Amino acid sequence: MKLRFNRRSVLKGLLGGTAVYVGLPALDAFLNSNGTAFANGAPLPVRFGTYFWGLGLTDTPTGGTRWVPSKIGPGYEIMPELESLAALKDKVSVFSGFRVIGDGRANLVHWSGHASILSGIAPAAASKFDGPSFDTKVADAIGTSTRYKTIDIDASVSRQPVSYSTRTGSTFASPDATPLALYTRLFGPGFQDPNSDDWKPDPSIMLRQSVLSAVTEQRHALMKGLGKADQMKMDQYFSAVRDMENQLAVQLQKPEKCESCVVPAAPKELPRAASVDVVNENTKTMAKLLAMGLACNQSRVFTFVHTAGSSETYMAGQSKIYHQITHDEPTDAQLGYQPETSKLASQVMKGLGAFLTELDAIKEGDGTLLDNSLVMAFSDTGYAKIHAIENIPMFLAGRAGGRHKAGQHIAGKGDSVTRVSLTAMQLAGAPVGEFGAGSMKTSNPIHEVMA
Amino acid sequence: MTKTASLCALAGAVLFNVAPVDAAPATHSKDPPAVKVALRRVTESQYRHTIADVFGPGIKVEARFEPERREDGLLALGSAELSLTSAGFEQYFALASSIADQALSEKQRQAIVGCTPADPTQADAACAREFITKYGELLFRRPLKQAELEPRLESAALGATQAKDFYAGLELALTSLLVAPDFLFRIESAEPDPANPKQQRLDAFTKAARLSFLLWDSSPDAELLAAARTGAIHSEQTLRAQIARMIASPKFEDGTRAFFADMLQLDGFGNLVKDPTIYPKFNQAIAESAREQMLLRTVDLLVHKQGDYRDLFTANETFINRPLASVYNVAYPSKAPWAPYTFAADSERSGILTDIGFLSLHAHPGTSSPTRRGIKLLEIFMCQATPQPPANVDFSKVQDSTQGTVRGRLLDHMENEGCSGCHKRTDPLGLALEHFDGLGQLRTTENGMPIDVSADLKEGRIEGARGVGEYLRNDPRVPACLVRNVYSYGVGRKAFGRDRPYLAAQTKAFVAGGYRFPALVAQIASSPEFFSVAAPKAQAAAPVAQATVTQLQPSGE
Repeated sequence: MKLRFNRRSVLKGLLGGTAVYVGLPALDAFLNSNGTAFANGAPLPVRFGTYFWGLGLTDTPTGGTRWVPSKIGPGYEIMPELESLAALKDKVSVFSGFRVIGDGRANLVHWSGHASILSGIAPAAASKFDGPSFDTKVADAIGTSTRYKTIDIDASVSRQPVSYSTRTGSTFASPDATPLALYTRLFGPGFQDPNSDDWKPDPSIMLRQSVLSAVTEQRHALMKGLGKADQMKMDQYFSAVRDMENQLAVQLQKPEKCESCVVPAAPKELPRAASVDVVNENTKTMAKLLAMGLACNQSRVFTFVHTAGSSETYMAGQSKIYHQITHDEPTDAQLGYQPETSKLASQVMKGLGAFLTELDAIKEGDGTLLDNSLVMAFSDTGYAKIHAIENIPMFLAGRAGGRHKAGQHIAGKGDSVTRVSLTAMQLAGAPVGEFGAGSMKTSNPIHEVMA
Repeated sequence: MTKTASLCALAGAVLFNVAPVDAAPATHSKDPPAVKVALRRVTESQYRHTIADVFGPGIKVEARFEPERREDGLLALGSAELSLTSAGFEQYFALASSIADQALSEKQRQAIVGCTPADPTQADAACAREFITKYGELLFRRPLKQAELEPRLESAALGATQAKDFYAGLELALTSLLVAPDFLFRIESAEPDPANPKQQRLDAFTKAARLSFLLWDSSPDAELLAAARTGAIHSEQTLRAQIARMIASPKFEDGTRAFFADMLQLDGFGNLVKDPTIYPKFNQAIAESAREQMLLRTVDLLVHKQGDYRDLFTANETFINRPLASVYNVAYPSKAPWAPYTFAADSERSGILTDIGFLSLHAHPGTSSPTRRGIKLLEIFMCQATPQPPANVDFSKVQDSTQGTVRGRLLDHMENEGCSGCHKRTDPLGLALEHFDGLGQLRTTENGMPIDVSADLKEGRIEGARGVGEYLRNDPRVPACLVRNVYSYGVGRKAFGRDRPYLAAQTKAFVAGGYRFPALVAQIASSPEFFSVAAPKAQAAAPVAQATVTQLQPSGE
């Protein structure tokens, strides 16, 4: 009611020639806003994101580990497959030995791992989660005062756009899958340069708001008579409309200045190929755009897919894809691991290295954007050859504005992956005390890494 | 989020009390509230066809649509489970503004609006009402209720006054129709059946929409809506007459293309990638042409020639264009963008399985994949799902694929107990197609070794692609699968065990009638089962435990 009549009064004010910025809708977003204060010296906001890559890292049952450091705690040693993280090691915590506990549910290959990490529940069926992915909870908590609640990105050049972010468990986010699409979303039409001196509210935005209120007024009538599953779908529809309303409301506010925001040039389109060099290049380009989008306060939350769960990436010119190699390649008896697979895993990790480097390249206050961020990076599987869902590699990168005691190696000793997820949520500032279901239910984050 | 949600719910509730909804012209206020039996997101092609039908083909629809998802072999079933994401709504919102802007441009408005405002620089309630009522019905596929009309009239008035332009006001009203859930989703409603008040039947507008989305891949036109408004659509005679009219329309070709694009899983071409160092001939034009070729072949055989469905697997006649001719390694003498082409009687190519579309889509970026081809062939044409591969496969015995042919490598799966159950079904059919590489180009050797394309099936031994084509042609599961798909696609739900007798009867009629597709569609669309009501579940359905490989990317083969 309040929402609706505020809208109307804004419009009427507009018609009467009243200054347009007097009657802004009192959206929850503004009441909850927790980060618009950086112009007057308050702490910089914490950003949160997930980074996913497919096919795990090498840690064989015969003991040939290529990524698990032997040292626990701070000052862990850089293992061969973590080489690309060496420069940022002090800002990255490594989590080994955490596992998915299915409570009798089958290991759905290249699905159960990340579905459990993100939703806290071992999934019953491939292609669906049994609950929302937790990035949406973080977005609801910290993402409402920016233009976009969340930015979903897919660098994988897959057949279908890949995203593991979901509110219903069945409808997944539709990510920006090319640098140009991402650029357009962040800096294309509708972008307001926070550092521009001649900012004026765009009156057409209020008319667009009236378009949406005609829709939201029908909510009650629409919900009536719907079955449970359909109600959930309609709920998500209206939640999407609310995000749009929030976006419009944000655009009616004069943006806070952001020192580190420098509007980038439009990127060139890259060749479309799924080879790992192209995917890494894509990752770097999109990370650069994303980092600036975060610095320009367009969003505080993101989800990023480097390669999908059953990744189709390959070394250019090699007829077998990485996925096939992880299964086919015999374990070298002397080395104790699969040499070709490990080489590819190192290539894939270059993507994460490049990604974090771009976030670290933006200066913010006394530190960098990465220092004010928390990125949870993880895969779908541990040792890919056998689709292991034990020892899935997970990382927390960035200092989360000082909340994360980064640079440690934590050995999970068979604990549930959800402990890492819960830690990530809490470090990002989401008011969540418990996460997961069944044996993966936990209210016990990893205190060692929390300041 | 909950706080905002409750705020909105409250707003809705209060509104409902303050401004009671007037009875809509076609509904009776004494009726019990309609039961909404299904909510299905409109697909990209349904959206495009509807916009073209309602506003003319000149309207550009430029947006990135939300990804669709396949369930039980069909996107139509997946879209029944999907909602919209925030990014998706953003796209629809921008698209709605763009469509409204184009439809009400100075050039278009004369043809579209239908009435003239007293003063084009001011609001005109009567003309706005006429416009919103007309387009509201076409877009919502039913008449607008008073409570849906009012806010749009207000938008139109506000916009007109603010911009001093009547048409700017209409633009707002139209935009709000185009972003409404009633347009973006198909909301299917049921009402008590007057002949049997204890039973529910689909209401007339829902019936009309089912028909038009199946037959035309678009919203009902004015004539079909009229048959719904009067209730005539409930009579068998009117129903049959409408179906006959719709099949005779050129739009039936759109409906057929949409159905087969879904069933043949042609949605993967937009993002198909091949390693350019291995397949230098591949590019996006090839991918798009390959997709179009499969549709041209199918529509020509089934709609234009009213041919036998089984010929799809064996006919030498197809269509090619210049980019495809280079992959097929044949001359392209025509000046037209597409030309009919007949492969020689002794060619290894015949039927849709040897179109490079099928062969390249179901392969890896750098190699062919007999397993994938076998899985897809069983799934698409025979409705046979393959379970997920077991998690703990032991691949230690597999050979190096830089030597010999893929057959040797796959034999290892056959010896592994955990694998052989599925690979024994999937691989032989795929191995018989091995004379075609990952792009679908003809070859007879791999790594210098001749490729053996014989395959032992339960039913006997087959040889090469022609053998596979003949096998499909003669297998009774093939027509049964088509029947099941047409039905599921139309009603938007999986076929259950209780549908079995109905589907068997439909299949029998399809076979007896000579495997004609238009007749099959007519026979299903006119059957009472096509409109039967499945009550919505009070609880969200438990996810099905059995996974199919529909979305499965390469397995360990």
